Amino acid sequence: MADQQPLTVLIAEDGAADRLLLASIVRKQGHLVLTAENGEQAVALFVEQRPQLVLLDALMPVMDGFEAARQIKALAGEALVPIIFLTSLTEDEGLVRCLEAGGDDFLAKPYSQVILAAKIKAMDRLRRLQVTILQQRDELARHHTHLLNEQRVAKAVFDQVAHAGCLSAPNIRYLQSPYALFNGDLLLAAFTPTGDMHVLVGDFTGHGLPAAVGAMPLAEVFYGMTAKGYGLAETLREMNAKLKRILPVGMFCCAVLLNLSFERRVVEIWNGGMPDGYLLPQAGGEPLPLVSRHLPLGVLAPEQFDEQTEVLPLVLGDRLLLLSDGVVETSDENDQLFGVERLKQVFAANRQPQQLFEDVLQALEGFRGQSRDDVSLLEITVVAPQVLAPAPIVYSDSGQSSPLDWSLSFEFRAQTLKRFNPLPYLMQVLQEVHGLRGQSGALHSVLNELYSNALEHGVLGLDSSLKRDAQGFAAYYQARNQRLQALQDGFIRLHLHVEPLGGGGRLIIEVEDSGKGFDVGKVLQSPAREQRLCGRGLSLIRQLSRHAEWADDGRRARVEFAWEALA
Amino acid sequence: MAVESALSQDGEELTIKVKGRFDFAKHQEFRRAYECEPRAPKLVIVDLKEATYLDSSALGMLLLLRDHAGGDDAQVRVVNTNSDVRKILAISNFDRLFEIS
Amino acid sequence: MFDNHIDRKVLSELQDVMEGEYLNLLVVFLDDAQRRLDQLHAAHDTEELRMAAHSLKGSSGNMGAQVLADLCRQLEERLKQPPLLAIEDLINQIYREHATVRQLFLAECQRISVG
Repeated sequence: MADQQPLTVLIAEDGAADRLLLASIVRKQGHLVLTAENGEQAVALFVEQRPQLVLLDALMPVMDGFEAARQIKALAGEALVPIIFLTSLTEDEGLVRCLEAGGDDFLAKPYSQVILAAKIKAMDRLRRLQVTILQQRDELARHHTHLLNEQRVAKAVFDQVAHAGCLSAPNIRYLQSPYALFNGDLLLAAFTPTGDMHVLVGDFTGHGLPAAVGAMPLAEVFYGMTAKGYGLAETLREMNAKLKRILPVGMFCCAVLLNLSFERRVVEIWNGGMPDGYLLPQAGGEPLPLVSRHLPLGVLAPEQFDEQTEVLPLVLGDRLLLLSDGVVETSDENDQLFGVERLKQVFAANRQPQQLFEDVLQALEGFRGQSRDDVSLLEITVVAPQVLAPAPIVYSDSGQSSPLDWSLSFEFRAQTLKRFNPLPYLMQVLQEVHGLRGQSGALHSVLNELYSNALEHGVLGLDSSLKRDAQGFAAYYQARNQRLQALQDGFIRLHLHVEPLGGGGRLIIEVEDSGKGFDVGKVLQSPAREQRLCGRGLSLIRQLSRHAEWADDGRRARVEFAWEALA
Repeated sequence: MAVESALSQDGEELTIKVKGRFDFAKHQEFRRAYECEPRAPKLVIVDLKEATYLDSSALGMLLLLRDHAGGDDAQVRVVNTNSDVRKILAISNFDRLFEIS
Repeated sequence: MFDNHIDRKVLSELQDVMEGEYLNLLVVFLDDAQRRLDQLHAAHDTEELRMAAHSLKGSSGNMGAQVLADLCRQLEERLKQPPLLAIEDLINQIYREHATVRQLFLAECQRISVG
């Protein structure tokens, strides 16, 4: 009895002698005693003093023990207040009544001190256990709320980073769970300054905050570089390097990236670890799988990273479908997987291309028992570029007018041409010219065309007529990579002049390459479609600029942009 | 035990066997299997004969193992893979980092 | 005579527990027991009879008065099932046993006060 801590014990017993005796026994065991003569008094005392243990006589006048027990248990709520019935009831029926009324134990008359002490000890142990359980439950609830709050904050920050996306473009349909971020699922899409579209569907390892935390730096790099006009390869290199640096070994991001040019009707693809995407031809027929050919992002060191992309031609009405592995891994009640075969069946059965996205969703819904929150689906339709209206670029300067009389010259030689794309840097410089901002897209497109012509057809000597069909494309880009790797000599010179003109100003771009040149007249006379696919985009350059001419057998291009006085 | 390891007589070869589901729950056990060796072995073999399933955290664990065993200088073989496991390893192109059979 | 009607061992344990309050306990019991008997006498129905018998059974048991306790138990049992046979007789036995027990407890009170 020495190790029992003192309790406040309520004794309700209508027999005066019994009450006195019991009170003395309990007091002698070291506890504080409250006494009541009937059930009503007992309940009132309970409310007032909140004893930890109650000894209740079953049969009492005014309110009997059963009713008093019910009321006391209700008042106790979540806490356990053990009730020991005092009874000389021996029949089962009586004992059952005691239990049903909420009694936890019995003490028979005549009272045994030893038995009473043992029962008090046992009941108190249960009481303290309940206290511990409630404390731990409350602590758990607090931690959980805290965690949910952290996740909410993380998501809010992420949504700010990802807000610049163009997932709302008219030719995009997508499905993503609101919990996607915490499954590591990522869906990013943004326009480049020339109106091309970069798209990323990704899947980080892990769950919860660790998965979400990697997504933010990745999204920043993706959006930042895309907005500045960097190509897919450079963006991939940067994303891989960043993840490799910041993520612990063992964490990585599977991703599939697309660079769609609606102007040139071409898509560049890089898939590292994601399930097959699909190119569904407008004309029908077998969907072309976009297979994973690379390791996921964040695994390889920068020196070993392979940013080689595949290039495919596109036709108006073609559809591209990208999905996360949640789609194929969706399972039904019998743990059967949805699988690639069923997906292909949906493609085959589809009659109306605009319905394809719905068809896939319906097939998934019809198949699974319960919904999954790691299913991400993205469909992009190839449309004419006029259909899309890219969001205007937000400038971060004061808008005050800029210096109007300067020139800049660069010469890029072989070793630099291999590794460096100067265009984003040059565009940054040109952004400073306020008068040009309204023509930013056109400017970017023209610079791109001029530079790729100079590099690919000029310095590398590639034959543009290769790009007539899908095989030709593959061959062309393979050859491009090989020749670029092997390049030893050659140069591209770039000159930019900005000068006042009338009330406004003009920009003169000159691009010179060390190649063999070409028959400008012939190319300009060939039909527009041929020009676009395998020509040098000369008509495009003419359309987008104020004036364009070629000299030195096509080795030197001179293009002009102009603007009026600003308001 | 779901993860068993055995070192060869000369200490040059470590074999780690994974049974059942190779997923995040096996994280600690798998790590212990190779971290307890005082001298890094020249060759590590991961035997998946009795492994039924592999997920992305298992891929992460393989990367950790490779890093521990010397990174690019490591020789890690993943053997006795069934077709499902091989498919998962193929999608992530892990055959560029591990010898898979 | 004492040992038939009251268990000495119980009394000794009571004295142990109650210490200075032992006399008080005896007095309270005597008063309580009398009250129960009055209830028994004034009872209008079987329910009231049963309650009185039940209470007296409990307290006399606690005080070591086994015979009295047992008689009350018998009355309680019999009151549960009609027809009510030989109730009057049993009640009279209870009155007589109570009288005996009362005398014995008064003697015990005296012993304590003097001793």
